[in-house]
Amino acid sequence: MHRNASLGLAIAVMLLAGYGIFAASSWPAKAALFPLAIGIPLFALAAAEALWTLFGAPPARQALSDLEPTAEPAAQRRIAIAAGWIFAFFAAVVLLGFPIAIPLFLFLYLKLQGGEGWALSIGITVVVSAVFYGLFEALLHLPFQAGWLFSWLGFG
Amino acid sequence: MIEALLEGLVLVLQWKALGFMMLGVLLGFWVGLLPGLGGATTLALMLPFIYTMQPVEAFAFLLGMHSVTATTGDITSVLFGVPGEASSAATILDGHAMAKKGEAGRALGAALASSLVGALIGALALAAAVPVVRPLVLTFGSPELFMLAIVGLAFIASLSSHGGRGMLRGFLAGALGLFFATVGQDPQAGVARYTFDTLYLWQGLDLVPVLVGIFAIPEILELVARGTSIAGQLPAGKLTRGAFEGVKDTFRHFWLTIRCSLIGTFIGIMPGLGGSVAQWMAYGHAAQSAKTLEERKGFGAGDVRGVLGPGAANNSKEGGSLIPTIAFGVPGSTAMAILLGGFVLLGIVPGPDMLSKYLTLTYSMVWTIVIANVVTVIICFAFLDQLARLTTVRGGVLVPLILVLVFIGSYTSNNHYGDLIVTLVFGAVGYFMVLAGWPRAPFVLGLVLGKIAENYLYISVARYEMAWLTRPVVLALVGIAIAVILYPLYQARRRSAHA
Repeated sequence: MHRNASLGLAIAVMLLAGYGIFAASSWPAKAALFPLAIGIPLFALAAAEALWTLFGAPPARQALSDLEPTAEPAAQRRIAIAAGWIFAFFAAVVLLGFPIAIPLFLFLYLKLQGGEGWALSIGITVVVSAVFYGLFEALLHLPFQAGWLFSWLGFG
Repeated sequence: MIEALLEGLVLVLQWKALGFMMLGVLLGFWVGLLPGLGGATTLALMLPFIYTMQPVEAFAFLLGMHSVTATTGDITSVLFGVPGEASSAATILDGHAMAKKGEAGRALGAALASSLVGALIGALALAAAVPVVRPLVLTFGSPELFMLAIVGLAFIASLSSHGGRGMLRGFLAGALGLFFATVGQDPQAGVARYTFDTLYLWQGLDLVPVLVGIFAIPEILELVARGTSIAGQLPAGKLTRGAFEGVKDTFRHFWLTIRCSLIGTFIGIMPGLGGSVAQWMAYGHAAQSAKTLEERKGFGAGDVRGVLGPGAANNSKEGGSLIPTIAFGVPGSTAMAILLGGFVLLGIVPGPDMLSKYLTLTYSMVWTIVIANVVTVIICFAFLDQLARLTTVRGGVLVPLILVLVFIGSYTSNNHYGDLIVTLVFGAVGYFMVLAGWPRAPFVLGLVLGKIAENYLYISVARYEMAWLTRPVVLALVGIAIAVILYPLYQARRRSAHA
């Protein structure tokens, strides 16, 4: 898995660096200097990584690589579902705003994904929502935007 | 001087000042735990409340709050892999790895004890350096600060794995971080670089949403994949037993803790480098302290020295950054710039007066840092059992809570939905880096230092043309940068010779 991911990431970085160099070439020299000074070595390093992945020996266990990813199909399915929940939460925040999205997401995740009981799901949802309201809205008065849905409906 | 020092202590211990300090500590404690809601933001939010306070009370409140955020920021880094502060991200690498091995208590103990040592050294530096720091700060102009950023970037070599392939991936990740640092309006021609006509990107990528994404999202996904709690199936009793062990680790590696504290203090003193740099340089230095190949492999996998270094540097930098703020009115960080606003609100002008007319007030600040940190560490140790047990909470319950924390933390950086998009994008980048076996630490170092390096390079060239390269301190820093890059290679060669 390391090999394919590294190759894919190296190619993605090459494309990114290529775009960066191309875009910078149309800027004034002062603005382009730093992006070019970084973009060109970045492209070269990514190309070296891609070539090393394709033709070199696989690397030994990486120190400082922190996490060890799980390759099992069941685990990968769980990751895909988790990614779905993350995007669903993001969509809820953007459409409904934090004050509604937080309790909605918490309750649905705990009940549907976590399989927790009603009491725990409702309890955690209420406590976290209260902390959110008390700390961020009542005490600190942080500006949380209204959801786009409310803006579209004219309530924002 | 001793008299002023004692008078400063007496002032801080007066019930009103002490009460405001405790209130500040309480606020700072929670602010540190919440990602995104940084110490600087909270200082700004609390500034209007100091109008009616006496200077000693006001600074006890503000500094008490600010000086503990770095300490408690380490807690979420260790427990959940979510940086409580931008300046506590480096603690994740080994601290969270220890938590996953069931050593959350030991990691927290080490983080707290080293934070306390760091804070004390920072405060000591503040007390001792105020009269003599002027020549040091004046020696460091833009060319020297640029070279200091390059020295920081040289630590990529230490943050990378050993061997040619490890170095390649380390420098690749570092260059990627540097590349993303160029996003936003450039400092010279005002060109909007890689902004895709989006106003949000004009100011560049904010560090907090990037850090939260690149570290927290992969941790969440990995937690879901494992389907267990953070500490896996380890027995609960083992988790907290190591707290005292963590404290002992601090003294076992005392000179490393001291050295990292001094790194933090030095970075703090230098205006314009920012606190996020200190932790990574300290982490790089801690990784360099590995004597054998096996020891080196342990970094990133739960070596306690990877917790001690950033923990100490994080807190010592606060005392350091107060030095130029107090002595010259030149803020060493964003938080110090806001604190400078506090000086103005109270009618105090930072500068020579702080060393004569307001010397007692200056020393009361030193004592505030000391007392606030001691109180915080005592409170944290009292709740360490409960904190460490959070790593045994079922993943199904913990994941949505961490996600809420991540989203709020990211959003409160700029109160913009763009922050959430940045977090998700860099969450994906971080996850693929983990899959590919690329280290994330050099990426962050590149991102943190990229903008700083570019700004100072521009000023250096504009002010001195190429003559800046011949300045003695610049040459010395070039030597240090080369040494920092070559040292890991020398170590690797020596290890293979011994093997």
